[in-house]
Amino acid sequence: MSLISSLVPSLNRTPTSKAGSQPASDLGPILKPRHELNETADGFALTVYLPGVSHSGLELQADAETLTVIGRRTWKQPEAWTTLYRESDDATYELVLSHENVVDLDKIQAELRDGVLRVALAKTEAVKPRKITVT
Amino acid sequence: MTLIRYTYPVARSLTSFARSPWAGLENEMDRLFQSSLGDFTGSAPTRRVPVDLYEDKDNTYVRAELPGINRADINIELVDGYLNLHAARKTKVGEREDTVALARSVSVPDAAVQADKISATYENGVLTVTLPKREETKPRKVTVTVK
Repeated sequence: MSLISSLVPSLNRTPTSKAGSQPASDLGPILKPRHELNETADGFALTVYLPGVSHSGLELQADAETLTVIGRRTWKQPEAWTTLYRESDDATYELVLSHENVVDLDKIQAELRDGVLRVALAKTEAVKPRKITVT
Repeated sequence: MTLIRYTYPVARSLTSFARSPWAGLENEMDRLFQSSLGDFTGSAPTRRVPVDLYEDKDNTYVRAELPGINRADINIELVDGYLNLHAARKTKVGEREDTVALARSVSVPDAAVQADKISATYENGVLTVTLPKREETKPRKVTVTVK
């Protein structure tokens, strides 16, 4: 059962949350990063591949509905360098995941190392499986 | 007259199987499935690595996006005019370790690069390889004395 579903940010946002969060025009071109989401015993493990993003360019926001990852590339092409060939993109990474309030916002842990962001999302007590003893 | 109970064959005897005219075909089919499915199950998948090329007056630069790799697991080689990048991304999932192999080759004119002075840096998941350009061979003036 996948409780967190990734959707296109523009389709997923309700008009009210759109007003609250940053408008997309501030970020310029947007690229959805490659990511993996796995369910563990007491939460979810999210891995987002953000090559070229350092700590200063990373923003991680969580509210009652969504978890947003914004990654800005910190590397700038030096003036003397001429581009011969490009495959990568300069666009800012943005990933919006809706978590339907099953994630404990106080227990989110995140680590960025070598362009990979790993986020540990703990499930709220309410959605954890509970064993019921039958008498 | 005595009745002899027929014994149903439980397992195929190896000797009769080897003699069967289909034995060769069955072996061949097994081998075919193993070789064609081996790539999906056995080795780690190799994904594409996006590469950018830049140059300035002294160097050519190759930038490759390789997020989440230990510096020790990056291999760079210059062979026959190709710059080969090999990397292995190792992820710990519980007790087992997953490895994803990434590879990319970039054509580099052999004559234009000082192969012994290539350097590389790895920062925020992006590998930058610096290939110093060879100095233009200067026209030499040779004076020959006539005896």
